[in-house]
Amino acid sequence: MAAKKGAEQSRLGFTLGSDQVSFELDESVYPLEAIYGACYLFLDRCYVYLTRPKAESVSVRLTSQESADTEALDSLAGEFANELLAQALRAKLSQSTARIREYYTAAALRAATSAPSVDDLLAELESEELLEDPLEIMVPWEEKQGDGSESKDG
Amino acid sequence: MAERITFDSSLYSPEAVEATATAYADYAKIAINSTDGATEAVIEDGGEYEMAELVNAFSNHALHETIVRRRQSALEAS
Repeated sequence: MAAKKGAEQSRLGFTLGSDQVSFELDESVYPLEAIYGACYLFLDRCYVYLTRPKAESVSVRLTSQESADTEALDSLAGEFANELLAQALRAKLSQSTARIREYYTAAALRAATSAPSVDDLLAELESEELLEDPLEIMVPWEEKQGDGSESKDG
Repeated sequence: MAERITFDSSLYSPEAVEATATAYADYAKIAINSTDGATEAVIEDGGEYEMAELVNAFSNHALHETIVRRRQSALEAS
């Protein structure tokens, strides 16, 4: 991030103009998608104008919608810079995790297509013989063990 | 007095700038010239609107259109 030489600079090093602040971005550090992402979030707060002073470089000019002092402009540009960094990081993470996200999406879609329908589940339920009780779970304990007093006395 | 705004084609989609000109046709007289690598918008006769505000709002709208169109085409491509 660079300010123009010779122009008035803010505390954070941005170039100041009348109600506007500008700075240059290196596209090898901040990809264009990250710059767009940050611009999109600031469109309702200020006027944003982009130019390309040279290859691989984007100049951002933020103009406040109302009269703003140096401090307010510095703060606006600082917030933009922070958002830019967040967007760049997000883009990088998105790129590095793209394959694993594709894998999980494909796995979820595969599972969804092979999942049984409600009708299949109901048919399966009906076909089961629910009254079979090989482990005699439904038989009362007294019936299985006989009279409780006999077993106690031996 | 007319105001010229140059939109670099590598940053602003020419279609987005044209769509913005259409959207702002009710507010000012706008001419679009496409040159090699840039789209130029000439805004004049802003009527009751302040020219500086019109120019800034036009630029914001063009950027918004560009971003939305880029995202839409990326979504369609994936």
